[in-house]
Amino acid sequence: MKQLVCVTINGQRYREEVDPRMLLSFFLREQVGLTGTHIGCIVGECGACSVLLEGQLVKSCLVLAVRVHEKEIVTVEGLATEGTLHPIQEAFVEHYALQCGYCTSGMVLAGHHLLTKNPNASEKEIRQGLAGNLCMCTGYTQIIKAVTAAGKEYKKG
Amino acid sequence: MTETKYLGKTIRSKEGPRHVSGRGQFTDDFTLPGMLHGIVLRSTYPHARILKVDAQEALEVPGVVAVVTPDVVKQKTRPFKPGRYAAGLRKPVTEYATAIDKVRYLGEPIAMLAAQSRSIAEDALELISVEYEPLPTVMDSREAMESSAPLLFEELGSNVAWKGGVSYGDVEEAFQSADRLVRESLKTHRYSSTPLEPLGCLASFDAVSHQLDVWCNGQNPEVVYDALSEALSLEDYRVVIPDIGGGFGQKIHLIRKYIVLTSLMALQTGRPVKWIEDRSEHMLAAGQSCGMEFDVEAAIKEDGTVLGLSIQEIDDVGGSVSTLTIHFTNKLNNLFSTYKVKSLRLEGQAVVTNKCPVVPNRGIGKPSMCFIWERIMDRIAEELGMSPADVRLVNLVQPDEFPYQAPNGNVYDSGDYPELLKRALKNVEFEKVKAGQTKARKEGRYIGVGVVVGLEPGGRNAARDMAIFPDAKEMPGAGGVEGATLKLERNGTITVVLGAPSCGQFHETTTSQVVAEALGVSPEQINVVSSWDSRLSPWGVGSSNTGNNFHLYDIGAVHGASLQLREKILKLASHILSTVPEELTIEGDLVSSKESADQNVTLKRLGKLAYGNQSYIPEDVEGGLETTYYYKFPHAEPFMLPDKQGRVRAQFTFSAAAHAAVVEVDIETGRTQVVRYVIVSDNGTIINPGVVDGQIYGSVAHGISVALGEGFVYDSEGQLLTLTLTDCSKASTMEIPEVEIEHYQVPSPFSALGQKAAGEGAAIPSPAALASAIEDALHPFGVKPRDLPFSSEAIWGLLNP
Repeated sequence: MKQLVCVTINGQRYREEVDPRMLLSFFLREQVGLTGTHIGCIVGECGACSVLLEGQLVKSCLVLAVRVHEKEIVTVEGLATEGTLHPIQEAFVEHYALQCGYCTSGMVLAGHHLLTKNPNASEKEIRQGLAGNLCMCTGYTQIIKAVTAAGKEYKKG
Repeated sequence: MTETKYLGKTIRSKEGPRHVSGRGQFTDDFTLPGMLHGIVLRSTYPHARILKVDAQEALEVPGVVAVVTPDVVKQKTRPFKPGRYAAGLRKPVTEYATAIDKVRYLGEPIAMLAAQSRSIAEDALELISVEYEPLPTVMDSREAMESSAPLLFEELGSNVAWKGGVSYGDVEEAFQSADRLVRESLKTHRYSSTPLEPLGCLASFDAVSHQLDVWCNGQNPEVVYDALSEALSLEDYRVVIPDIGGGFGQKIHLIRKYIVLTSLMALQTGRPVKWIEDRSEHMLAAGQSCGMEFDVEAAIKEDGTVLGLSIQEIDDVGGSVSTLTIHFTNKLNNLFSTYKVKSLRLEGQAVVTNKCPVVPNRGIGKPSMCFIWERIMDRIAEELGMSPADVRLVNLVQPDEFPYQAPNGNVYDSGDYPELLKRALKNVEFEKVKAGQTKARKEGRYIGVGVVVGLEPGGRNAARDMAIFPDAKEMPGAGGVEGATLKLERNGTITVVLGAPSCGQFHETTTSQVVAEALGVSPEQINVVSSWDSRLSPWGVGSSNTGNNFHLYDIGAVHGASLQLREKILKLASHILSTVPEELTIEGDLVSSKESADQNVTLKRLGKLAYGNQSYIPEDVEGGLETTYYYKFPHAEPFMLPDKQGRVRAQFTFSAAAHAAVVEVDIETGRTQVVRYVIVSDNGTIINPGVVDGQIYGSVAHGISVALGEGFVYDSEGQLLTLTLTDCSKASTMEIPEVEIEHYQVPSPFSALGQKAAGEGAAIPSPAALASAIEDALHPFGVKPRDLPFSSEAIWGLLNP
C-alpha cells in the first residue's frame, strides 16, 4: 500500500507515492533522481547520505521517506545557486578537501550545518561537528582546513 | 629547476566542483530501462558443505525474475584461471564466481537473485533454502597448520597451501660473521581500507548482437576484463569504469566474482541487472588484509651495522587460494627498505583458514616489511645501547649511492634518507620531547617519541612474481605499458583520454597540468575524460589504479602524447602561417611566431581547419589533430625480468619518508593519544602539492587508525564480530591528529618529470612509528609493542601481564 508524500526538495515541490518502508536515502536517489546523496552503510554510521531536513542535519538512511511529508529538504544538489558554488563547496574545492567524492556530499552538508549554527567554530568544534561523517580517503586534514576557511564567509553572512 | 607555469602548483581541481555538488557519477548512479536489482545470498556458515540450494519458493514471489544457483554457475560459467596471486599453488583449485559444493568463509557468495526492486529482492532472498552440512572451523593459522586440523581444500591435503621463499646475498656468511644476533617476533592483523562506496556492477546483455556492457568500480581493468572472458566465454564485451568511490586495493580482485555473477544474471534474464554490495556484505566478504606472523633474526656488528636478516613468515590467507601469496610477494617491493644491508632471507607459508579471503590493501605486504625493519632497528638500538636514530643512520643507503641497486634487483632511483631522518628529528623537536618526557614521567604521564623511515615504491612490474615462481605459466607482461590519447578538438579545446581509471586521486587535474605545461595551453582549455572505457581508453598492463602506477605510467603517457600533439599542432600552424614549426610557440589559445606575435593563429581555427578543410592540410600531414602515445618505462632494464638469482625490479621508482610520532599513553586504560605527527617526505618532483598532501594525509590517517585498533575480529567459531564501520573502529575526525608534512623533493632521474609515487606511502611506516613511540613512552614498564594493533586493550594487557 503506497503512501502519498508531498515534500519540498531544494526548493522544488514533489508529490510522490512511496512504499511505506522506503528509506529517505533511496527515495531521494531512486524516486526523485538526486543521486548526489550517497549510500555508504545504510545504518547511520558513515554520514555519506546526510541531508538537511527542516534545517537539521540528518542521515537519510535513518529516516523513512513517509516521515518527510510536508517537510523541507536540502540535498547537496541544492546548495549551489545558478551555477555558482556555495562558499562551503568553494572551500572544499579550494582546499582539496575531497578525493573520491563519495563522502563529500554528506561532508559538505555537515560542514554547512555546523557553520550555519556556529560560524566561529574552533578546530575542536569542527572536529566534533564532523565526527558523524566518515572519510576513507583524506584523513580529514584538508576537510578541517576547508571548513575553517569557509567559516569566514559565514561570518560575513 | 626550470620555471614552470602549472607544474608544482595547487591549481583549481577538475574533479572538485562536480563532487561538491553531488554530480559525480558512480556505478550506483546509473539506471537502465527494465533494470533488475540483483542481491547475493551468502553463506551463514564459515565452513560447510552445500547439500542443496532450493530457490523454488523465492521464484514464486511476484517481482522475482531469476535466481542463479551454484548449479547454474557451474553449468553456465567456467572457473577463473589461477592468476598470479595464486601462482604458487601446488595443485589446481577450481574457483567459480560462487561457492559450488562447499563454503569456506562466512559470507561467501552462494547465489544471486534478481527482482524488479531491491526490496522485493531482499525479501525473496530469505526464501531461498540452503541445506548445509556444517564442518568444523579453523580460525587460527597455527592450528590450521596442524595435521589434525579440518581441511579447507581436500585436494591440497593440507591447509598450508604454499611454502616458499627468497634469499639474496650470503645469509649464512652474514650470520657466521656477526658479533651478535638480535631476535624479534611480530604480528600484523587483519584490516581493510573499506572504501565508502561499496563494490558494485551493472550489466546489460544484448542477446541478438551477443554484446555485454558492464559498468563497475573495479580498480584494475585487466582483472575485470580477463574474468569476463575466462568465466563467460564471451567474445564481445565492453567494460566502463566511471567514478570510483575509493579503492585502496579493495576493488581489485574479489570484485570479479560479482561482476561475473551480475553479468551471468543479465545473460540469463536478458535484462540489465544492477548489484550493489551493502556495508555488512563488504565487511564480511569483500576481502581483508592478511594476518601475518614473523620470526625475525638480525645478524649485526657492534657498531650497529646489519649484516643480514632472516625472516620466517606465516600468512593467514583466509578461505580462498586466489590471493594466496600476494602479501608475501609484495614484500619484494621494499624487501630491503631504505637500508644497504647485503643479505636477506624471507621464507613464508600461506595458510588457509575460515576467514575472509585476503586482498590488496594500501601497500599490501609493504607496511609489514617496513614494520619488520623498523622494529628490528629499535631492538638493535636497545641491544647495543645506541639511539634508534643512530642505528638507522649507520645502515641507511647514503645519498651518493644513488641510483642504488638493492640485492634483490630493485634500483632505487634517487633519495637522501639520512636527510629525511634528520629533518624529522628536527621538526618533531626530538630533544625537547625527550626532556619533556622526563618531566612528565615525574607527574605520572607517559610521553614517547618514535622516528622511523620507510620506502614508497611506485610503478608496478608484473614480472616480479616470477622471482618466486620461476616455473609458473601465464605470468602477466613485464614492465608497464600504458597509453594516453590527446586531441585538439574542433572548438580549440584539448581532450585527454587516460589509460587507467581513477579512484579519486585527482588524475584529471594532475594530467591536465602536465598537458598544459607541455603544450603551452592553460588547464582550463583541457578536458580529461572522467570514465574509463575498454573500447576507448588506451590501456595496457600499467593501466591499473594499483601499484602506485599513475605517477609513472599515466604521467609518462600524457607527457609523451603532449609532445607529439604539440608537434602536430605546430606543423599545421606553420603551414597556415607560412613559417617553420621551430619558429612557433603555443600560449593559451594562440599559436604565434616567436619573432612577431601578430603572426598567429588560434587553436580554435586550427581545430576547424584540421577537421573541416582538407585544402589547408599539408600533403605530408595526416588529417585531424589527435595522437595516442603508449609509454613504456625507458629505464626498465636491468632486471625487468628476474635473473637466475631471482633479482628483479619489483617497482621502478622509490619515494621515501621519515615519520616522527609523539604519543601519550594513559597507563590506567592503555589508550594511546597521538600528540604530534611529523612527516618529511620525498615524492620526487611534485606536480600538484594539494594532491600529494592529500595522499599523504589519507594514507597516514589509515596507518594510524590501523595501528591504534582498527581491524577485523572473529570469534573462535568463525563469526565476524566487526560487521559495521563502528565495530571495526574506523577513525573519525576525533581520532586523527593534525599531521605536519615537510616536502624534501629529490627528483627521479628515470621518470618523465622527476616525479615519484605518492599514494599509499604514509600507510607503510606509520604503524612502525607508533610502535616505536609507544615503546618509548612505556620504557619504564619494559613494554614492547610487537603485535598490531596497539588498541587500548592490547596495551593495557602489556602493562598488566
